[in-house]
Amino acid sequence: MATAGKEILKGGFRMSQEKVVLKVYRYNPEVDEKPYYREYEVPTEGVQTLLDALFYIQENLDPTLSFRFFCRAAVCGSCAMKVNGISRLACKTPFKKLVERANGRPITVEPLNFLNTVKDLVVDHDKPFENLKKLQTWCEPKQPIPEKEYRVSPEEVKEYERPTNCILCFACYGSCEAVMDDPKYAGPFAFSRVYKYVLDSRVDEDHKRQMVKNAMEVGDIWSCVQCQKCIYVCPKGIRPAEDIQNVRGKAAEYGFKEYPGVKKVQHFVDWVYATGQINRLALPEEVYGVDPTPLINKFKERGAEVWEVPKPLPGLLEFRDLILEVMKEKKPHLDIDFHHVRRIDKKVEEIFKADVCTKVVEQFEEQREDFFSRFWKKISEFFGAR
Amino acid sequence: MKKIGFYQGCCFQGPDAHMFDTLKKVFSDLGVELKLLEKTTCCGGNTIDEANKYLVYSINARNIAIAEKEGLDLLVSCNTCYMVLAKTKHALDNDPRLRDEINKLLAEEGLEYKGTAKIWHLLPYLLEEVGIEKIKKKVKRPLSGWKIATYYGCHIKYPKEVAVVDSEDPKGLEELISALGGEPIKDYEGKDVCCGYHAYYTNKEVSLKKVVKAPQGAKKAGAEVLVTPCPLCFKAQDIYQDMAQADEQKVPSIYLPEILAYALGYDPKEAGLTYHIIPLSKISVNIPPAG
Repeated sequence: MATAGKEILKGGFRMSQEKVVLKVYRYNPEVDEKPYYREYEVPTEGVQTLLDALFYIQENLDPTLSFRFFCRAAVCGSCAMKVNGISRLACKTPFKKLVERANGRPITVEPLNFLNTVKDLVVDHDKPFENLKKLQTWCEPKQPIPEKEYRVSPEEVKEYERPTNCILCFACYGSCEAVMDDPKYAGPFAFSRVYKYVLDSRVDEDHKRQMVKNAMEVGDIWSCVQCQKCIYVCPKGIRPAEDIQNVRGKAAEYGFKEYPGVKKVQHFVDWVYATGQINRLALPEEVYGVDPTPLINKFKERGAEVWEVPKPLPGLLEFRDLILEVMKEKKPHLDIDFHHVRRIDKKVEEIFKADVCTKVVEQFEEQREDFFSRFWKKISEFFGAR
Repeated sequence: MKKIGFYQGCCFQGPDAHMFDTLKKVFSDLGVELKLLEKTTCCGGNTIDEANKYLVYSINARNIAIAEKEGLDLLVSCNTCYMVLAKTKHALDNDPRLRDEINKLLAEEGLEYKGTAKIWHLLPYLLEEVGIEKIKKKVKRPLSGWKIATYYGCHIKYPKEVAVVDSEDPKGLEELISALGGEPIKDYEGKDVCCGYHAYYTNKEVSLKKVVKAPQGAKKAGAEVLVTPCPLCFKAQDIYQDMAQADEQKVPSIYLPEILAYALGYDPKEAGLTYHIIPLSKISVNIPPAG
């Protein structure tokens, strides 16, 4: 493989060619006191991918440069690294695009974030692999095991096709805002895998519940900030941030109501149903049991007018109908807590000195009047025409 | 005068109702009438997605359909609302079956999602539809001597299919700040670190660790304030940063329409700058007290 690559590069390499500087992270923990960067000039023509550029360096400029690769086709996941701050597979990164973007500036190549460096661009994958094990992301077969085989529908497979495509390159892990600030956080890829098994009808229900519990307790899934970077960097088009939302939804469905995150979703569902809006001032109390008054007072001291509840929207009843209709069609992970909704209604009524329902009923009456007047108009038009 | 449908989201409630007044006045000064679409609701805050993705598509198809019924495009003043609405548009425009299903539900209210309305985020709207030249001409109080770190926030950069700026090299805010007479600081440590807003009610510790990173980097780079086109990043950098940092470390944050208002000559109170938890009076250019 390496020889073939060398031939192409030799063929493409001409002394007169334009060159670009690659600023490459170097570190050999056995020899170097600390990491350093070395700059290499690489021809801009005849180099297909970033991986080819690294081969060029290794074969022509510096044989001591280490990087990991295998399939060269975005299948094995070995060559993930950081290019100008973004996690990418070296084999899937067109060099031409990097050169264009660099616009004369050096291209910085570094190992993935948040993983120990073995040497240069080679990182130690043990930690994220260990995280997968800790979450128990595997199939515990559903009992009883059928005599022949489990039957799985094409529709079901489609549901978890995306997370199944994960190649464990850890590009998402190296870009993750939660990993940055929570060493316990298992990583986006790990939760995509949890979701995949949660959707799989062959997996034992108790085990699914256990994986979701592990995702919270062992993997800190509530630390995800929903920045969407994992979706951006995934070379396989997987959407871990959205899979994380689904696993969190499962946690709500399984009744893990003591977690702040589940209380937050409940707040959103109930308040949006009740008023069309969330209520940011009620969140501290409903999620953490914290009195928001000191914060509210700070705003009042600064002269701000503070709305205790959001204004209910016009046409609220129709909006509520829409929500109920949707929930009837697609069973949600979390149901509306109608006791909570009634408490919200009461509060809104106190503040706006109006009955939420009467107000809406009045609107209904108006519409009905509309209907009747239109009806009579039609009738009289009909008779008038005769 | 141009006219655009305005989606308010959850941003202008609680102590922040004044932010909408500022926004409305600024846009009016710049020749754009914001038609508040009162029937629109919360987008679900990228949180209802956890309970029911289909519900998120439905309520946002409804939000967009309300603008379409009036024949207007939709202006969104929040990164997260923008992302959630744009994701819905992306899903419905690419899946006719989903669109038909949801339209059946919307028909009850006499609404239909057609996919004709463009969904604008505040920043590109200012750059492309209003234009830098127009803004420049309206400046009455140039921000001379203001060193301003630009902070874009995540949801206009990622995911790729809805991004309105170059995800790896966002631009536009600097040009705006320069047009207002300020000195933009683009490159600083932590410029790309999430503000932590959305984790505050799921894991507070992580949120409070995140929120200080961009301000600390901005300070090191010599900035006195941060400016962001996202009201949620602003809220995190105002309220949560206040909880997470010692006073001398705090860097005040400003929501983009507020700094526009100030440069356009509004008094600090009208611009909303006096309501901040982390006061702006600490910066080298003093803002006179309100009143």
